[in-house]
Amino acid sequence: MIRGLYKAFQGNIMAIPGRAMAFFCLLLLCFVPLVTQEPYILLVLIFVNVFAIYAASWDVLAGFTGQFNMGQGALFAIAAYTAAILSRDLGWVPWATIPCGALVAMLAGFIIAIPSMRLRGTYFTLVSLTFPLILAGIVLVFVDFTGGEKGISGVSALCQSRVAAYYTTFIVMVASVLAMWKFTDARSSLIRTGLAFRAIQEDEISARCSGIDTTRYKLAAFGVSAFFAGISGGLYVHVMRVAGPMMLDLLWSFSPIIWTIFGGMGTIGGAVTGVFVLYPVMELLRVIPELRMFVYACLVVLIILFMPEGIVPWARDKIEKQCPRCKLINAMSRQECRACGAHLHTERKKLETVKD
Amino acid sequence: MADAFFEVQGLTKRFGGLVAVDNVSFRIDQGEVVALIGPNGSGKTTLLRLIMGVLKPDSGRIIFKGKDITRHRSCDIVKRGIAGTFQVVKPFRNLPCIMNVMVACMVTKAKRGEWTKRLAVKARDALEFVGIADLSLERAAVLSHGDLKRLEIARAISTEPELLLLDEPFGGLNPAETDLLGKSMRRLHKGGRFGRLHSEEMVMLIVEHKLMDLMKIVDRVLVLNFGQIIAQGTPEEIASDNKVIEAYLGKGVILGAS
Repeated sequence: MIRGLYKAFQGNIMAIPGRAMAFFCLLLLCFVPLVTQEPYILLVLIFVNVFAIYAASWDVLAGFTGQFNMGQGALFAIAAYTAAILSRDLGWVPWATIPCGALVAMLAGFIIAIPSMRLRGTYFTLVSLTFPLILAGIVLVFVDFTGGEKGISGVSALCQSRVAAYYTTFIVMVASVLAMWKFTDARSSLIRTGLAFRAIQEDEISARCSGIDTTRYKLAAFGVSAFFAGISGGLYVHVMRVAGPMMLDLLWSFSPIIWTIFGGMGTIGGAVTGVFVLYPVMELLRVIPELRMFVYACLVVLIILFMPEGIVPWARDKIEKQCPRCKLINAMSRQECRACGAHLHTERKKLETVKD
Repeated sequence: MADAFFEVQGLTKRFGGLVAVDNVSFRIDQGEVVALIGPNGSGKTTLLRLIMGVLKPDSGRIIFKGKDITRHRSCDIVKRGIAGTFQVVKPFRNLPCIMNVMVACMVTKAKRGEWTKRLAVKARDALEFVGIADLSLERAAVLSHGDLKRLEIARAISTEPELLLLDEPFGGLNPAETDLLGKSMRRLHKGGRFGRLHSEEMVMLIVEHKLMDLMKIVDRVLVLNFGQIIAQGTPEEIASDNKVIEAYLGKGVILGAS
């Protein structure tokens, strides 16, 4: 049993450099509180965890079904407000309010999706831009209930100590990201949605004529995306202990887009990496407040200019090599495929023999 | 009149002022192979697309096994047992061939257990049937046109259809490839088991001009011109039908004795 697990670990994680690196990064993050208990650093990392879920949830919809949602902030805010109201009025604890908020966000996602899904491409994007704007209007109308401009304060804290909050958000982040990754992975053996998403992304008509109910799968993607946006919204509101209309700002909806495109669209890991790189950078740039946005924008533009697919696919191309025969992924440093023994770098090999 | 296996009644499709398919009615009986021919722009592909549910007809009815399937969505039509290929191939270019076919294999109900492996086995059988199993791990984008045509057919038959619509399966293929594909189609018609795929006298509607390879299995030919059926009959009858010759060659052409 343990032997089998170890073998699976060796074959599925350690043998693939990208996954091995992700694994070690996560392992490293487990030990951060042992090294430093600086509240500020922990707070930044807590936000990184929360926003990693948020960015990945956007990627589920945009990177896998091609629906460029520019109103993800609306779903985030619905969950955040729901959690805040449940906490304020009913005094529920965070582990009850967060799932409730996520479910409400999912429901809202379906309600939004059913009419707007009829539109495609840019038209859907334009409509999605209005979600947070409409919601902002509603929030400002029902001032008694939502607190209007001031928002809702006095939400109960996620955990007593900051270290506990860090571990909670970290575990929720890893679990959510793994769930989203499995949901969208075309080779996943648990659920077949990933394969359907890839087909829809490649050619929607063709997918439909192969018997895939594209509408249902797209709705499912919207629901899952909304659910995880809701999880992150709920976590955020319990960390910040305040829910306000700034979540309905358009910048709030654009942030996950920037993070995900920076990290690489269509690879859940890219969205997470994007947040782990860009959010701390944004915090570091607080030393130069006047130039903060400018430097940030320049960084993003440069990365996208030189790595148009994002940093994760770029790095993966550098460290991984697909076997030309059996299509298994190998470390770049290997000469021969780990399974079938085929030469991995045939071109270089040829040149050497010519020299001899 | 007994219910036909597949029947089209008064099907019409307009694109603006152009009537692409004009009040077309025909029926296909169990076990038949029907060829659909006609000059360019006569509405063959449009007719197939209407049946597949990619396009919605303006009027008329499509009846399959006694059920009206007009205006159903493509995915429901596939589930009922009609699968088709496209004239211009539409593979999932960035997916390996085997996954292209696995997508279509997903139509059949999910069973518990190692379903990815089951799908892969079935997909492999379909690829083997059309003769491109050796390319199963390559991305569809690197395949030649002939192989893509075969991939399309593999994808269509792996949904286990009862009625197979083929839109110019030989278009752009060289004689050797045509020969191979013709063979697999004849085998498909004969029916039987092939690994996990099985068919029983698959009914086929084929849009094709090069009927030489299929002469043995084609029972009936429909001729379409300007969206209307101008003739139908056995291949021999059609070859000597004056209206058909006129549609293809025009009026007033002096024909040699035929």
